[in-house]
Amino acid sequence: MERRILGYGGMRHLAVFLLPATLVLGIVLVYPVLYDTFISFFHYSLLMKYLNRWVGLDNYIQMLTSRSFWYAAWISGYFTVVSVGGELVIGLFTALMLNRKFHGRAFVRSLVILPWALPTVVNGVMWRWIYDGNFGILNGVLYRLGLISHYHSWLASPFTALNMIILADIWKNWGFFTIVLLGALQTIPDSYFEAAKIDGSGFWYTLWHITIPLLKPAILVSLVMRITQAFQVFDIVYMITQGGPANGTQTLSYYIFYNAFQRLQFGSAATISVLMTGVTLVFALILIKIMYSEVEYM
Amino acid sequence: MRRLVGILVVLSLLVVMGTSLAAAKVTIRVISSDDFAPFRKSVIPAFEKLYPNIKVDFSSVGYDNLLQKELTALSADRSAYDVIDVDCIWVSEYVDMGILEPLDGYVPPSERSKIIKSLRDTFTYKGHLYVMPMFHDALFFYYNVDMLKKAGLSRPPKTWDEFVKYSKIIQQKKVAPYGSIWGWSQNEGLICYYGALLHGFGGKFFESGKPAFNKGGGLKALQWMVDSIYKWKVVDPNSITATDRDILHSLASGRVPFGFEWSFAWGVFEDPKQSKVKGKIRVGLVPSNVKGLPSATTTGPMGLSITSGSKHKAAAWKFINFLASKKNQIKQSVEYGAMPIWKSLYKSPAVLKHHPEFGVMVEQLKYAFNRPQVPYYTEFSHILQVALQKALTKKMTPKAALDEAAKKIAGLKR
Repeated sequence: MERRILGYGGMRHLAVFLLPATLVLGIVLVYPVLYDTFISFFHYSLLMKYLNRWVGLDNYIQMLTSRSFWYAAWISGYFTVVSVGGELVIGLFTALMLNRKFHGRAFVRSLVILPWALPTVVNGVMWRWIYDGNFGILNGVLYRLGLISHYHSWLASPFTALNMIILADIWKNWGFFTIVLLGALQTIPDSYFEAAKIDGSGFWYTLWHITIPLLKPAILVSLVMRITQAFQVFDIVYMITQGGPANGTQTLSYYIFYNAFQRLQFGSAATISVLMTGVTLVFALILIKIMYSEVEYM
Repeated sequence: MRRLVGILVVLSLLVVMGTSLAAAKVTIRVISSDDFAPFRKSVIPAFEKLYPNIKVDFSSVGYDNLLQKELTALSADRSAYDVIDVDCIWVSEYVDMGILEPLDGYVPPSERSKIIKSLRDTFTYKGHLYVMPMFHDALFFYYNVDMLKKAGLSRPPKTWDEFVKYSKIIQQKKVAPYGSIWGWSQNEGLICYYGALLHGFGGKFFESGKPAFNKGGGLKALQWMVDSIYKWKVVDPNSITATDRDILHSLASGRVPFGFEWSFAWGVFEDPKQSKVKGKIRVGLVPSNVKGLPSATTTGPMGLSITSGSKHKAAAWKFINFLASKKNQIKQSVEYGAMPIWKSLYKSPAVLKHHPEFGVMVEQLKYAFNRPQVPYYTEFSHILQVALQKALTKKMTPKAALDEAAKKIAGLKR
């Protein structure tokens, strides 16, 4: 049986063909993760190497009892929930709209993906200028529309700045949900919706009881992807607020950056990254478990 | 006979190869802050002409990224750069990390004594000179004389109380939306601005080795900063998110009359490509509320150093020496607004003539204070920055924020 599937040479050839990819993944993924976990047990200063020493779980204890760490964790959590939530809702409704036939639909569909194609750094710089307190167009437009009486400094207050960054992130990423959910929508036969309509089902009832359940696999897959990305957000924080004001936008990734490259404490930075990985892993496993139980029902 | 010829040929080839190796090009890698990079780049052709065997590979980054860039590159490879740009506040940390080459051998004592004493002291640590200063610097008080006149004011403010009063007049007469804009975002510049105000209110950073900024002048300074935005409304609230480089265009576009900037800003204000206020900017002494102290500001000189891991130390020194030479110091001053390192140049007519505000800037240097020279400066600065920001964003009162910072800083161990 093995011979029939794998052909001449069988397992040996398989091993050889898999070797390059395994090597690359090993060097680029496995080794750094293992080394990172390894340093998290040390006090590891980048340049003053004579201070480096084994500290066991000290870094973890210090981190888990540190207010800064939990504040950063709260900011990352809030960012993830609001940002991904917003993207999902907007993405879902746009997908529903783009599922209908209308003139220029193909054009609009291609426009939708443009923000997502923008590099995160470029997006960050762009929004920094949009939000600028003196020259930004957000102020300009709102002022001219009479919605604000004077220019606001959008990034000057910690919580407002965080929400503005979330807005910038939602703008960039909702196209992702649109594309994934649109693809999934198109696999649902029209007859389902026609039948529902005949039975007297309204828009919201159809959406909640038919469309969304059928989209569950697609929603869950895209959620896993976007949640892990949003939880690790760094670029946009670095470009717009550099973690400020008063650490109000300091996500966990930025906190790692601060520990590693400004305090030069690589041990602490490694600890945070291990903790983040742990949380993300657990979360992803839960979502995947839910997803697979759904698919079986299908 | 054939063998002899063969040997001669080989020998002559070796001689030719040997001489060409001796004349082989050496490339030195230089990393610099963006601020005076245009000047440094402009003199590279002259340098390479003078030393045809040395090629300069020059790169520059914004000041706020310079520390990280240098440390991460050098930690991976000690010879990643031959010449690095060093800020006055990094000297002790860099030396403790072992990345700087002592320069005592390159600068004989006779030459050293010709450099301004405070610069020498700033860049000397544990008895050795580690950084060759490239320019002296401090936060200067730049003001738009046109806007002052429009508001009916004949001179710039001398105290911080007058500063608020004059700003209000300017705002009431609708000459400008705000009297001033500052760079109070969470970065090193914030400490520089705070330091100027702290000393201008008679405060101290440390006293007998213990933090003293959370009382007296230090506390008054932060209260002034908070009140200037929220109570008197004379400072642009965007100051909380701006860096000292960001505010340049508010000043250069003539939007705001008062600003505190480094010496390089002069070059920006006088460059018609970047500024609409050429010829309208003057320099005044930074205000001070302390009786008997006409002014108080923060210093900010920078210099160049040879890395300890450099493989071309002699060539690196030649470049540093070239930039520090009197001829180039004059050029840097006249064309880019820098303050020279040599005492004698402060009497040079060439320097004094081309920079009309230079006299005031020299006077300002007499009232310039250094930031604390502690070995853990980066962490001290970060803790204080967050505390100042917490007060500026009204998350905590100035007293509570500074007390918290003082406690954390007192507990810093190395």
